[in-house]
Amino acid sequence: MTTAARRQHTLEVLVENAPGVLARVAGLFSRRAFNIDSLNVGPTENSAISKMIIVVGVEGHSLEQVIAQLDKLVSVISIKEVLTGSKSEVTSTQPDYQN
Amino acid sequence: MATHVPTANGTAMTGATSLVKSLEAAGVEVMFGLPGGAILPAYDPIYDSTIRHILVRHEQGAGHAATGYAQVSGRAGVCIATSGPGATNLVTPLMDAAMDSVPMVAITGQVPSAAIGTDAFQEADIRGITMPFTKHNYLVTDPDQIPGAIAEAFHIATTGRPGPVLVDIAKDALQKMTTFNWPTSINLAGYKPKTTPDSQAITDAAALIAQSSKPVFYVGGGVIKANAHAELRQLVELLGAPVVTTLMARGAFPDSHPLHMGMPGMHGTVAAVTALQKADLLITLGARFDDRVTGKLSTFAPNAKILHADIDPAEIGKNRHADVAVVGDVRETIAALIPALKAALAKNKPDLTAWLRQMNSLKSTYPLGFDIPEDGSLSPQLVIQRIGQISGTDTIFTSGVGQHQMWASQFISYEHPRTWLNSGGAGTMGYGVPAAMGAKVAAPNSTVWAIDGDGCFQMTNQELVTCALNNIPIKVAIINNESLGMVRQWQTLFYDSRYSNTSLESKRVPNFPMLAESMGCVGLACERPEDLDKTIEKAMSINDQPVVVDFRVHRDAMVWPMVAAGTSNDEIMIARATAPDWDSQEL
Repeated sequence: MTTAARRQHTLEVLVENAPGVLARVAGLFSRRAFNIDSLNVGPTENSAISKMIIVVGVEGHSLEQVIAQLDKLVSVISIKEVLTGSKSEVTSTQPDYQN
Repeated sequence: MATHVPTANGTAMTGATSLVKSLEAAGVEVMFGLPGGAILPAYDPIYDSTIRHILVRHEQGAGHAATGYAQVSGRAGVCIATSGPGATNLVTPLMDAAMDSVPMVAITGQVPSAAIGTDAFQEADIRGITMPFTKHNYLVTDPDQIPGAIAEAFHIATTGRPGPVLVDIAKDALQKMTTFNWPTSINLAGYKPKTTPDSQAITDAAALIAQSSKPVFYVGGGVIKANAHAELRQLVELLGAPVVTTLMARGAFPDSHPLHMGMPGMHGTVAAVTALQKADLLITLGARFDDRVTGKLSTFAPNAKILHADIDPAEIGKNRHADVAVVGDVRETIAALIPALKAALAKNKPDLTAWLRQMNSLKSTYPLGFDIPEDGSLSPQLVIQRIGQISGTDTIFTSGVGQHQMWASQFISYEHPRTWLNSGGAGTMGYGVPAAMGAKVAAPNSTVWAIDGDGCFQMTNQELVTCALNNIPIKVAIINNESLGMVRQWQTLFYDSRYSNTSLESKRVPNFPMLAESMGCVGLACERPEDLDKTIEKAMSINDQPVVVDFRVHRDAMVWPMVAAGTSNDEIMIARATAPDWDSQEL
């Protein structure tokens, strides 16, 4: 159940396909007190890159803060927000400092 | 980085030799470490290397020494340890370096790759353990990947927001043969720190400043990291607004400058704390709205708009919403802001006269001060102040954590960047002595004083042996109040003077001068105010050996001003139960 104060966001995160990357992402969410509602990891056409689909419950933190912290992980290559219930993707959530 | 091709490129060698060649190629001149089984293959080529290896007595000392070296030199500090407990002893310095954004590379040995996951002797998952407080870390099991990992580690540690990087290398990767191949370029898909600020953000920042009537420069440690002190001074003098420097930024702006209001925060000056509280704009440069600065966040600088310039995008809006954010290297940011602000001020120059008059009134009404004990005993603040005055502004100071740290920040005048080293974010007791060792190695011609507490000193003093044997003549002032002084202060103020487990009895045991002498240092003691100057001068005259002075000070001195934890900065106290006389101030 989502409440008014709690908003769900779906992030498509491309990460290095390397040992320990799942722990880095999960650990970040845990130590920053961000909520993961679900997390899926799968391959991409590039064997060096995996794709994570993370559903984040944002409470007390802004989505921008979650994305900015996630983006600090060296193993994280890109982050996009996927609008839930829709096929259209928001392309602007990849912070423009990542140029 | 990694521009020149080392002569060893293409040569067959062991992974261990490849590691040492990699460290040489990365420009390492000094490393602090202690060998053990898993890292032992690396110590054989270290024996022949041009790199100076300083053998510490505890790995924590190696870590903090690397931090001290980095803080003074601006280059990455390097420490090296073996697997298991050797590696876990680096955990505290790594956390410390992460909290204070210090560039550091830690190398650890790991058990052979076939044994990883078997609870082998001295096996610890140091990569897993250090994930939360390294900027990045590596576990290398293939010797071919050693040069790449080392090159990336130095690149990551020293660029963007600096921080610690750990490279854990399995023993068999060190033992196997490989072909050395130092990378000519580094391209990390997930790491591209933005250093050049957006021009629109600079324009917006200049406009925001030009509209303000009560601006304050809130200067953090990032200004020192970015070597931006000269640009900062230009910017400050262009606007003519008051400046506060945080605990991590002491020395970024001269204490003697008339626009300097001092340090803000829990033990900041009345002028600095009030400047932030009453400002209509905080020009935040390389600072992070730490709780020790803001006090109760919801009441911090309630009328201020926030201009926040930082190289770390995740700091923007983390604790306080930014009205204008400038992501980039703070030196580049300030350099770009100067002409933009000149242009904005040409159109509209705010009149800061009344604001400056208010702040200067607070600064002169509520200077930092202390009482001389009536019983004739030594005042800890006076000891620290006199050490600062006698040794001069080119001296490098380190400290432990607690009352002596706050007094060293308050009563020593810092005129230059990289002359004040402390554990700000982590609050690591025991930082002082090993950090001073690293600082002295980075700046052998500078006087280095560790202002330490009797509690802190007993955590890491073993590195004085390292100093004595390696010609690292640091000076240590133990501010001996026979207590965990800051904890005792809180017990006095908040726990009804019930001194549970804060009495160290260090005027009885240990005998600090004898302890110092036993470690190859000169040990001195001082208990009477009339002996203070000549004791400091005696310590200053000894430059071929480390010196330790046991300053036996009054026990009940407290750090003031104080904003109690969790309260508003508006509730600053200048002494026990004594608030500033706000009614007499026009604010």
